[in-house]
Amino acid sequence: MAEGFDIDHLAKLARLNLTAAEKVLYSSQLTQILGHFQALAKADLPETIDLARVVSESALRSDEPGPVLGAEAVTRIAPASRDGQISVPRVVDDEA
Amino acid sequence: MSSSPSDWEVVIGLEVHVQLHTRAKVFASSPWGFGKEPNEQVDSVVLGLPGTLPVVNREAVEKSILFGLVVGSSVPEQCAWDRKNYFYPDNPKNYQLTQKDFPIVVGGQVEIELPGISRNVMGEHKFVRIHHAHLEEDVGKLSHAGSGSLVDYNRAGVPLLEIVTEPDLRSAAEAEAFLRSLVALLTQAGVADCDMEKGQLRCDCNVSIRRRGAEKLGTRTETKNLNSISSVRDTVIYETARQIRELEAGRTITQETRGWNAELSRGYVLRDKEDAHDYRYFPDPDIPTLRISRETVARLQKLVPESLYDRQRRYVEKLGLPFTAASVLVNDRELAEWFELAVAAHPANPQGIANWVTNDLLRDLAASGAAGALLTDAVPPAVSLASCPIKPAQLAGLVKLTDEGVISKQQAKEVFTEMFKTGQEAVAIVDAKGLRQNSDTGELEKIVQAVIADPAVAKSIAEYRAGNEKAINALKGPIMKRTQGKANPVLIDQLLRKFLG
Repeated sequence: MAEGFDIDHLAKLARLNLTAAEKVLYSSQLTQILGHFQALAKADLPETIDLARVVSESALRSDEPGPVLGAEAVTRIAPASRDGQISVPRVVDDEA
Repeated sequence: MSSSPSDWEVVIGLEVHVQLHTRAKVFASSPWGFGKEPNEQVDSVVLGLPGTLPVVNREAVEKSILFGLVVGSSVPEQCAWDRKNYFYPDNPKNYQLTQKDFPIVVGGQVEIELPGISRNVMGEHKFVRIHHAHLEEDVGKLSHAGSGSLVDYNRAGVPLLEIVTEPDLRSAAEAEAFLRSLVALLTQAGVADCDMEKGQLRCDCNVSIRRRGAEKLGTRTETKNLNSISSVRDTVIYETARQIRELEAGRTITQETRGWNAELSRGYVLRDKEDAHDYRYFPDPDIPTLRISRETVARLQKLVPESLYDRQRRYVEKLGLPFTAASVLVNDRELAEWFELAVAAHPANPQGIANWVTNDLLRDLAASGAAGALLTDAVPPAVSLASCPIKPAQLAGLVKLTDEGVISKQQAKEVFTEMFKTGQEAVAIVDAKGLRQNSDTGELEKIVQAVIADPAVAKSIAEYRAGNEKAINALKGPIMKRTQGKANPVLIDQLLRKFLG
């Protein structure tokens, strides 16, 4: 983890099956990217919110309900569906 | 040797997720509501389809700020949204929009009231500090069927305010009292409906124990997704007992995420979502940081209602109500305001009005189905005064007639029943039924004199004249009898004293 990350851990978080060659390639690319951010992090800046991105409340939307896609459209773009719901491999969060 | 449970102190912190009262979702215009067919309340922004951008709902922002003002927090100058990344099918975008570093509510406190030693004695009050509250989007709902799971995204994107307390709670009773108070504050300010049966309030409960007097906090466990106040209370009791048992057996507490099985009343370890804590938060590039103007804060400040315990103190101290009546009235803002309108119409007897409201009116409303939940422990109390046939001024009129002795208390019950049925004014019912007590002094004087002349009461008269004040009451019965109960008791008393004086 000399680069500050663990390629196997990142691959697992991203649900990616990487080959040994890809791990080498991506590790080197990620090291470059992180190096860039480390350089940015060395800049002496005050602790503050990025003021260039601050908007006033006029940028908020009003609480008016708009159109919906409908279950038919929602399920059509999913790989699998059943009874108007999207079907996924079983994820367990109930009492084992 | 094992120590007693009282050697241990339990420390509880809560994370309360509340769905805000809005019509559209928090970053999308899709409507939301309970009980719709799956995936019928979803639009392209909720799904995070390419080319869509989230825009924050003003109402969700203002409801969040209003909550902050209700609990006396300082409203920050600006707040920002972050992405919380995780792969789990309850979220279509693979990240949840939430607030990590710059939440919309910072600090504040909630006053709670513990149960008294009996129903008519007020319990101890204390304050529970709010660490912060952040405005995020709710996630979809998973149901598990056989080898697969089904996903309904109707709930995804519903505005969710996550209210995080400091670890200030010290018992199951305090956790319960906190949630009751919080629900009252949220519903009375119109921030949220908090209908737990509809999943509008869900709670994560952090519990640890430590030796009484110890300063260092013990290792905590987090029991997630509790959807009722009783589940929170039961979880605290269960976790406290379990942790004491573990430590006294020489084992250690593992920091873990747990679930609660309400049916079996037991907790269980949640199978770890692998690396679920590695959320890799970063500022959401789609939603700019929001500056909250002081004008908005000032405008919302005006919407903050009197808090329920401030109201309760005012009722007891200024209006002279007994605690029992005050505590019932303040639980429901609509009911309290109804009561106050009645008091405004007849300020002389707030206690009399409170008695009618908390006994007769609530009973009859419950019987008519309008307030069935108020007499039970339902939270929030579901009283609906909109359909109440009696208006506040009408009840005030009834109490006034009783106070002036125009009708007796017994007759007032009859008038109330009729009033609830017909919505008529008390005076009209009294006249129509001929209930008006006789206040004709001339006629009553004759009856009073006739009764005084009756040898049967001579002994009582002698006693009264000898200084026994109470003896005068023996004469009132026969007078009432002769007037068929219609005589004004105040007038009878005056006349008796005049003739015997």
